[in-house]
Amino acid sequence: MCGGLFARRAQLLVGLVRLGKPVDRSGDLPRRARNEAEIVLGQRKLFQRLGPGLMHAAIFWGFLVLFPTIAIAMIGAVDREATLPWLGHQGWFALLVDVFAVLVLAGVLAAVAIRKVQRPARFEGSHLGEADMILAMIAGIVTTLALWHAARIALSLNEWPAGWSPVSDALSGLFGDGTATEVLERAFVWAHVLIILGFLAYLPHSKHLHIATAAVNVFYGRTGPAGRLEPLRFDGPEEEMRFGAGTVPDLTWKQTMDTFSCTECGRCQDVCPAWNTGKELSPKLLIMGLRDQVFADGPKLLKDVAGFEPDPLVPNAVTDNVVWDCVTCGACVQECPVSIEHVDHIVDLRRHLVMVESRFPTEAEPMLRDVERASNPWGRAQTERADWAEQLGVRVLEPGEPAPEVLYWVGCAASFDERARTAAESTAKLLQAAGVDFAILGPRESCTGDPARRMGNEYLFQAHAEQNVSTLNEAGVTKIVASCPHCFNTLGNEYPDFGGSYEVVHHTELIAELVRDGRLSPRNDARSITYHDSCYLARHNDVRSDPRELVAAVGEPVEMERSGKRTFCCGAGGAHMWMEERGGAINDERAREAAATGAETLAVACPFCTVMLDDGVRARGDELRVVDVSTLIAESLED
Amino acid sequence: MVLALVEHESDRVDELSLQALTLARDLVPIRPGPVAALLVGEGGREAAAQLGAYGVASAHVAEDERLAAYAPGAWARCVGDVIDRIGPSAVVAAGTSRGNEVLGHVAARRDLPFAANCVAIEGGAPLTVTRVRWGGSLLEEARVHCELPLLSVAPHSVAAAAVNGAAAPAVEPFAPALEPADLLVQVAEHVDAVQAGVSLAEAKVVVSGGRGVGSADGFGMLEELAGLLDAAVGCSRVVTSAGWRPHTDQVGQTGTKVAPDLYIACGISGATQHIAGCKGAKKILAINADAEAPILASADYAVIGDLAEIVPAITAELRRARAR
Repeated sequence: MCGGLFARRAQLLVGLVRLGKPVDRSGDLPRRARNEAEIVLGQRKLFQRLGPGLMHAAIFWGFLVLFPTIAIAMIGAVDREATLPWLGHQGWFALLVDVFAVLVLAGVLAAVAIRKVQRPARFEGSHLGEADMILAMIAGIVTTLALWHAARIALSLNEWPAGWSPVSDALSGLFGDGTATEVLERAFVWAHVLIILGFLAYLPHSKHLHIATAAVNVFYGRTGPAGRLEPLRFDGPEEEMRFGAGTVPDLTWKQTMDTFSCTECGRCQDVCPAWNTGKELSPKLLIMGLRDQVFADGPKLLKDVAGFEPDPLVPNAVTDNVVWDCVTCGACVQECPVSIEHVDHIVDLRRHLVMVESRFPTEAEPMLRDVERASNPWGRAQTERADWAEQLGVRVLEPGEPAPEVLYWVGCAASFDERARTAAESTAKLLQAAGVDFAILGPRESCTGDPARRMGNEYLFQAHAEQNVSTLNEAGVTKIVASCPHCFNTLGNEYPDFGGSYEVVHHTELIAELVRDGRLSPRNDARSITYHDSCYLARHNDVRSDPRELVAAVGEPVEMERSGKRTFCCGAGGAHMWMEERGGAINDERAREAAATGAETLAVACPFCTVMLDDGVRARGDELRVVDVSTLIAESLED
Repeated sequence: MVLALVEHESDRVDELSLQALTLARDLVPIRPGPVAALLVGEGGREAAAQLGAYGVASAHVAEDERLAAYAPGAWARCVGDVIDRIGPSAVVAAGTSRGNEVLGHVAARRDLPFAANCVAIEGGAPLTVTRVRWGGSLLEEARVHCELPLLSVAPHSVAAAAVNGAAAPAVEPFAPALEPADLLVQVAEHVDAVQAGVSLAEAKVVVSGGRGVGSADGFGMLEELAGLLDAAVGCSRVVTSAGWRPHTDQVGQTGTKVAPDLYIACGISGATQHIAGCKGAKKILAINADAEAPILASADYAVIGDLAEIVPAITAELRRARAR
């Protein structure tokens, strides 16, 4: 009966996943196998938090080891004298079972301690009652197992040498060898089997469904660059066209499976810059909201109920604010132990709102219009784009001229923003000092389309992608150095989808290489510097060591609490540079963290981080100089 | 024969429609015949009487009580009815939001090309017109291939000019054959924009403050100066983020874009976000304590020093000059 309940539910869940729109996750098998080994078996993501990680690993590994005992118990429940051939007689297996039964129990106790005593904020909004129920069941399963083994030893029914199972052997002292124990032995094994069956039936109806779905979800998780968004195809047949996610049937099958994999642990919520500054968005509640909507609409869609129109996801599953609060920093995705891709959900919701409903924060409209008309998000004249480079004598690549060894992609911020420009000037000076053959595109460079794409305006993004790719290809460019991590990510990870494949490096990578080769020799004045990792460099593209090498070349590095892949956003990502912020200010929060290191310099490697953190530092009145890594190196050469 | 859609407020003809009529007369040599006008709704007959001076020979006035509230579909129906009745060789309207919307509907219903926001009519066959695009940044020469072109006239591209000695036009009221679908979209309510003082977008002078102002109270001195100059008060994004001023006061990429004759930037560092909102100013005066502030690169004049001394000094000097 329990099997039937499980199967019926499983059938519904599989049906709901199959309802999803196609997305290709078939390739990259070796990488998928490695993810499965590292993330599922090795519990890598869970160990990002040591205490809860150990707790979960104890229970998870325990379940893997104890799996055959289900068969052993079922056989034993039917026939007291029988067991699984071979394995049931092995002393070493009995030892493993004993050890892991204790570990699982310890894990459950740790989980109870975390939930009931420590009560971390990440559980806010999770189904706490369900978790209690599940922990009680797991405790019941291992306790009855140990007691059953103990009773069998007391009755000398054990098929394995008792000395191999120290815990059950010690517990067997509780029992005599009379009829009472014989009854208890039966009671324990039946209790054990019934709890397991109950668990089986309850599991797929609860958030604990992740036991069944997580391993699959991890397997089908993204394997390409983390910063790449799946392009929408506007040229295919109409029925295959998709403009993001408006209702449940618009979700991809992976997105639906994401919602089934969430176990509401709240690690994502804990690291989310929006949630941490009092905004509505919690990545966990986002996925839970979508899951509720999938379960509300999905069954009717499967049954093809006549006249049924699914409700829009926004504002039913999640509100507009939730969709627009996201800075696409990817901290949630980095944290998630079951490979849920929150940012892809957000971007798909935005795509629908922007392209189908034209519904988005009004203050961002001028940005979209300016990207479209002026090819930069501030509506500045393209003819002014190379103004900063004139007095430095930087070559502007004209049509028909031979391509330089490296094309310097300056980006709009460094071209037009007075504060961000310093980094472009420094980078150009360093390339000149090291004798690198480089040039800029000047007025032929245009916004990469990143802010439009992260806002959900895929159409505008693709128009720019195609135009830039055609400029770069015609110019014969092979290697690009980019100052802006957003351009860097788009050029390197997203333009290949539009026919543009180049070797793309960030300026910190190129400068670090020049320093290593001895072509630049910065001087260290031992001042303390803390380095802020840009999300699109460190998290989305794994550029972490090169900027740190440069910082260490000119001063004494001191790390912030959150750094590297687990950095905290400056607040500008996901087009938030052009949106108004609700709730607390993300840049103030990050500036506070930087100031707490006691460093005198806050080094950055992104023009948006520069502006945001400089504003944050000023707003707080801290004595902290916000400066790009390239400028630090350039200054140290001048001294 | 040319048909012109004329907008009016009760019995007064809209200035932009008079401009459209002026440009429409350039069509007469190419599309010979008298100019007919269409007026919709209450006051139409009275307004029509004034159109003789603008070359209109006959005026068709659509009358139906359902036309009291503006409904684009219903107006398009009226235009269609007159087209069917008199068979014009061109339809012209003012390039207002209404004019463009109505002609858009007519174009869609009759599968006709529509050239919006024309500034000049060159003539020729096919008809060649010049029109503004991209918010005025581009002039396009367009050829309209059809028997019945629909044109709207970009506001203020020509001055309304009267013709001499024209008699009042013949007024012909008619009841348009409205269908329920024509009235699906209509104006439900008029809401007046709440405005105190001079509006930021239209002010000739804007006095704007940034972080350097120091506090919400600090804006008192800017308001005083603005009062003397008949100016609007603006601010930068950090000011609205800090809650010192409402978002409606923000000048910048995510706020209002202004184009005054004089923009006084007080204690504003000049982030690109802000420059994007004030670069349309004819002159920028920056008052800033920091001689290195980026705003100075965009400013025509600058005073380096303490706002709390400089702004009151300007105010006092203005008062003194006016007292004389």
